[in-house]
Amino acid sequence: MTVTGQEITDYVDRVRAALADLPPGVRDELTEDLPEHLAEVAAEGEGALVDRLGTPEAYAAELRAAAGAGEGRRPARFHRLAEARERAATQIRLLDRQLGPVLGHETVSDFLRPLRPAWWLVRGWLAALVVAWMVDGRSGLVPRLGGNTSMGLLLLIGALVASMWWGRRSAGIIGWRRQLHQIATAALLLFSFAVLVQVDERADTDVYNGYEQTSVDHRYERIEDVFVYDQQGRLIRDAQLFDQNGVPIRLGWPNCLDSSGAVPAPRNAYPYCPELAPFGAPGSPSIAPPAPAPTDSGTPTPTPTPAAPAPTTSASPEPTSTR
Amino acid sequence: MDTTQLLKGVLDLAVLAVLKDEDGYGYDILRRLREAGLTEVGDASVYGTLRRLFAAGLLTTYVVPSESGPHRKYYSLNTAGRDQLTRSGKTWRSFATTMDALLDDRGMAA
Repeated sequence: MTVTGQEITDYVDRVRAALADLPPGVRDELTEDLPEHLAEVAAEGEGALVDRLGTPEAYAAELRAAAGAGEGRRPARFHRLAEARERAATQIRLLDRQLGPVLGHETVSDFLRPLRPAWWLVRGWLAALVVAWMVDGRSGLVPRLGGNTSMGLLLLIGALVASMWWGRRSAGIIGWRRQLHQIATAALLLFSFAVLVQVDERADTDVYNGYEQTSVDHRYERIEDVFVYDQQGRLIRDAQLFDQNGVPIRLGWPNCLDSSGAVPAPRNAYPYCPELAPFGAPGSPSIAPPAPAPTDSGTPTPTPTPAAPAPTTSASPEPTSTR
Repeated sequence: MDTTQLLKGVLDLAVLAVLKDEDGYGYDILRRLREAGLTEVGDASVYGTLRRLFAAGLLTTYVVPSESGPHRKYYSLNTAGRDQLTRSGKTWRSFATTMDALLDDRGMAA
């Protein structure tokens, strides 16, 4: 026998595709004898089915005319759509059978079927991501609700359970419910893809971007400004702080207006706001360097002294000596 | 003259006729028609005709399990089918006689 079962199946599929516009019941009736008929024809002699019976499309046309089935009840504009859909379905069935052996199964469907619970879990997770994204406008790989991880965890568990439940239930649905289910699944995949792309982009840009190398730690979060006093209790201006590696230490932020009325930019020079010095403002803004003051003027030396009483509380010997 | 055009008009009658004495399944009926001389009858035409006659209530069907191969759907004439066969047969006979006479009058050889 030169005609294979595969050839018969394909021929039947193509005939059915050509009759796709008919109501399913009528089409089934017209083609129900076809496989066994083709088997008889095949057993009868040599040669391909197409050579002996003509193309499946011609066969379908003859069948349709002889049965008086005419055109289907569906409007003509759906005709082409239904045909294209049927052809696509035929192609998918064909691929399903052809690619099955590659995966070690008869068909790809056989391979995929046991994996369905895994898909249900993934679907639940994706749904949780999309919900978190709709609520917060952003999402990570773990869903959060309003930045709250435990609420996000509840959401995730809920979505997983719902997805598993629906997975067990949805197997038997047909008609418009099935179409709704397919549309919803497609929409979920599309949305979750968009969300994941967003997550991925953020993960990419977050690495060290916008950070300078500083030794700021959370313990210093409450520090707004740094005031450095020299041995004589004089405020040092534009002091620069470094750690053992020579990395600038960035602390605090400018909290006052400079002479031009603008907030000064953060820089590694403290204090940002000398006027806010805790132990009294410097008498004269002209004393910048911590070096021997007398060179600048004599006035600064006495003015910082009022600041000295405070350091005494810290039991430091120097301020006491100045008194 | 193209016999396929003629067949379209009389295929119903031919199918009813080959089922008169013995029920048959699709391929079987096709073979009977070809053995009777209707060699140009198309496979799909016979199956389509069977469906249409069944839908018109002239045939009944039953399935016979087969040990070798698929189950077969057998068609048989019911009362309405037999009545139809009788009527159509008479119509054809009369039509054929008229045509024969027409051709004979003009000296055409058979």
